[in-house]
Amino acid sequence: MSVTLLGQSILSGIFSGSLYALLGLGLTLSWRYLKIINLAHFAFIFLAAYLTYQLAGPGGLPPLLVIALVAPLFFVMGYAQQAFLEHFKVDEFASIIITFGMTILAETFIQWIWSADFVRLETHFLRGSWELGPFFLPKQEMLMSAAALALCLVTAAFLRFTWIGKALRAGLDNPQIAASFGVPNKKLSLLIAGIAGALAGVGGAFMALLFTLAPSQIYSWFGVVLAAVLLGRVGSATGVFAAGLLIGVSEAITMAVTAPAWAPLAPFTLLILILVFWPERV
Amino acid sequence: MLILENLDVYYGEARALANVSLTLGDGEIACVIGPNGAGKTTLVNALARLLPVRAGRIRLGGEDITHLTPQELADRGLALIPEGRRLFTTMTVEENLELGCYRPAARAHRAQGLEGIYAMFPILRERRWQIAGTLSGGQQQMVAIGRALMARPKLLLIDEPSLGLAPVVITQVFETIKAIHASGVSILLIEQNAAKALSVSQRAYVLDCGAIVAQGSPEELRQSREINAAYLGAGA
Ligand SMILES: Nc1ncnc2c1ncn2[C@@H]1O[C@H](COP(=O)(O)OP(=O)(O)OP(=O)(O)O)[C@@H](O)[C@H]1O
Ligand SMILES: [Mg+2]
Repeated sequence: MSVTLLGQSILSGIFSGSLYALLGLGLTLSWRYLKIINLAHFAFIFLAAYLTYQLAGPGGLPPLLVIALVAPLFFVMGYAQQAFLEHFKVDEFASIIITFGMTILAETFIQWIWSADFVRLETHFLRGSWELGPFFLPKQEMLMSAAALALCLVTAAFLRFTWIGKALRAGLDNPQIAASFGVPNKKLSLLIAGIAGALAGVGGAFMALLFTLAPSQIYSWFGVVLAAVLLGRVGSATGVFAAGLLIGVSEAITMAVTAPAWAPLAPFTLLILILVFWPERV
Repeated sequence: MLILENLDVYYGEARALANVSLTLGDGEIACVIGPNGAGKTTLVNALARLLPVRAGRIRLGGEDITHLTPQELADRGLALIPEGRRLFTTMTVEENLELGCYRPAARAHRAQGLEGIYAMFPILRERRWQIAGTLSGGQQQMVAIGRALMARPKLLLIDEPSLGLAPVVITQVFETIKAIHASGVSILLIEQNAAKALSVSQRAYVLDCGAIVAQGSPEELRQSREINAAYLGAGA
């Protein structure tokens, strides 16, 4: 295999890896800070993707404007979902079942509105590629990867340096004592759920930009995105980015040297090995 | 400052505090002493609104605080140094201290507060980036004290500050408590180490089996034969 081909494979691995990170970022936050394994995150992503398709395709709005609309809308959705889960005091394991149910409902809803067929957003926004020597850098993928990196870094800095980030970590560590120093644990949970929702919205908008959509595809993202979350250590924003890249690139290289069907081999072997030999990561 | 009237607190159906009344004057330091399992920590947690109160009333500066949230109590100037420190063990020393002044009203004093704490406990300045859970017991107690002071409390609840510490460190901790009191903070001190507690207090309560069984000045308690025999023991 030529070096150019390998290089281009690695590039495409970086792009898919960035998307895994972008989709996993909200998930890793709600898993750690809300103790909710929110499978409905994927439903949010797809709802946002279809909404983006609708508004930017038939609706004719500029995609960047759509992202700016979708993010706050899904902030509200995430917030409302958390208020619901808190009202019924749903624990970590029950959350898997309940949010899976929500995902099925969302899939049905999408089928009802947009049918079970494929749809594709046709847009002139950032069409084509930049060329860098022998390599092609598709513009939409570049924007998505830059957004994924920026969001992961901003989130990590937010958790590490801001008052809210510190309060979130303190509340996780010792909610009662945090409360007695004035940390409003409940409000912060809702805030994090809203942020996770907004991130799902942004991820979904990019998914619409990059992929042909079908409602049944919701489930095909579970494995690889959850793998990035686990591999990156639950709750770590920089971790999910690094893990996303690792998975994306190892997939791309596996595909290039074997066949596309083997793509999941490398990342999932890696994931299983890490979970077996380093279980405290989870 | 603080008035408890006929407080009852339960764990499920088990009564942990029965009809507890006590008063802490403005700028006063009082202690509650009593044996293991007497209900001292229960009293502190009920006061900090971390446990529900079944009956009775708590008043702070004239206001009924019986049903406020812990956050609202923080706004009213109450801070807690809990039993066993209960630091944010995965966070750094400095982050623990910062959490003490989390309330928006207190944040303005962050830099000044940290300077004060580091001047009081120079070792914490050296260890400011260390994860709090990895400190020695004595240093953790310093962080717990510092965290509470960062809140600039009017009323400080201190639960068993000497627990698990070496004698030298205990002496240092009590010196610090005296200094905090001298700076004008009202303090309710919970201790099993009765001798030490009485030595810094202006007023003392003896709690046993969830009820106040004696109260008075440290002198009065020391002079009572029954109290001495039952609660002050050899250490007194
Ligand atoms: N979470 C709980 N659930 C049920 N019972 C409890 C709980 N916490 C404490 N108790 C009981 O309440 C009583 C008072 O406990 P508490 O911790 O207040 O005592 P204490 O005076 O602080 O003791 P120590 O000196 O050991 O700290 C004890 O009988 C204890 O077993
Ligand atoms: Mg106790």
